[in-house]
Amino acid sequence: MMRNAHDEARELIAQGDGLSSVQQALLRAHLDECEACLHYAEAAAQLVRSLRSLPVVADSRLVRATQMRVKARTRELQQRQERLVLVSLSCALVAISSALTTPLIWQGFEWLGRWSRVPSPMWQVGFVLFWIAPTIAASLMFLAHGTYLSGNRSTSEFRG
Amino acid sequence: MNAMESEASAIARGLRQHDPDLLDRLIEQHQHRLLRYLVYLSGNRELAEDLFQETWIRVLERGHQFDGKHEFSTWLYAVARNLTIDYLRKKSPVSLDGLMEDEEHAPLEPIDTGPMAWEVVQQHEQAERIGAALVSIPAEYRETVVLRFQEGLALQEISVVTGAPVGTVKSRLYRGLNMLMSRLKGAQA
Repeated sequence: MMRNAHDEARELIAQGDGLSSVQQALLRAHLDECEACLHYAEAAAQLVRSLRSLPVVADSRLVRATQMRVKARTRELQQRQERLVLVSLSCALVAISSALTTPLIWQGFEWLGRWSRVPSPMWQVGFVLFWIAPTIAASLMFLAHGTYLSGNRSTSEFRG
Repeated sequence: MNAMESEASAIARGLRQHDPDLLDRLIEQHQHRLLRYLVYLSGNRELAEDLFQETWIRVLERGHQFDGKHEFSTWLYAVARNLTIDYLRKKSPVSLDGLMEDEEHAPLEPIDTGPMAWEVVQQHEQAERIGAALVSIPAEYRETVVLRFQEGLALQEISVVTGAPVGTVKSRLYRGLNMLMSRLKGAQA
C-alpha cells in the first residue's frame, strides 16, 4: 500500500522530538497546508503532555525494602565469594600435598608388601583403595549436601 | 570521553564490585521511572512492585554484564523487560501480548491523589482515563509509547531495550499513539 504525505507527516509527529532538520522542515511545510494533520499534531502533543504527567511514583517503603534486599543479597554474594576462595585455596593445598606425599606412600606400601610377602598386584590395589577412598567419601557427602540445597532452593524461589 | 560515558563507566565499575552505596543511589535515582515502566508493562501495580525488587537483585547479580557503553537506564529497562517476560513465561507460556490477559483481572490503580480539591479531582479523572486507555492497547505498543514519551528514551535506545529494529519502533509509536487517541475519543464520547 502506498503511503501518502499525511501518513508520513503523522509518523514524524508520533516520533516526538529528535527529528532531523530536513524532517522538521518537511513536517512544518506539510502542517502549514494541512489542517487535519495540524489538529493531529496538537492532539498528539496534548496526549504526550498528559502521559508525562501520569502520577505513578514508588513509595519510600518499596525503595527501603528493595535496598535492604539488595544489601542482604550483596552480603550473600560476598560470603559465597569468600567460601569460593577458601575452597580454591584448599584444593591447591591438597594438590600440592598429594604431589609430595604420593611417592612416599607408594614406597611405604611397597615396603609393607615386601615385608608381609604379598604379591605386588595386591599391595598396589590396596594403595589405590587407600588413595581414592577419601575422595569417594567426600564426593558422596558433597552430592548429598548439593541435593539437599537444590531441594530447599526450589521451594524458596520468588519469596519475599 | 564525555560525561555520560564516564558516568556509565563508573557505574559499570561499581556494579562489578557490588558497591552497595552505588546500588542505593541507583535505586533512589531510578525508582519512579523504573516503577512507572513496570506498572505500564505489566498493567498491575502489585506485580510491578515485585518485579521492581527482582530487577534490582538481577542488576546486582548481573552487573558485570553492563559494559558502560550505553546509558545505565537503557540497560536497566532491558533487564526489567527480560525479567517481566521470564516471570510471565514461568507463570504461563505467553508473549508480551499475553500481558493483556492479566490486565483484565487486575486493572491499573493510579496512586491516591490526597486532598479532594476540584482541580485535583479533575486531574485524577484525566489520569485515570489516560491510564485506562494506556493499559487497553497491546503491550508492545504501550511499552514503546511509555519508553518514548514517559521515560524520554531515544528511538535507538528503545530499539536496544526491546530488541526491535528502529523502523518497527517508529511504526509501533505511530500505531500506539493512534490507538490511544481513538480510545480516549471513544471514552469521552
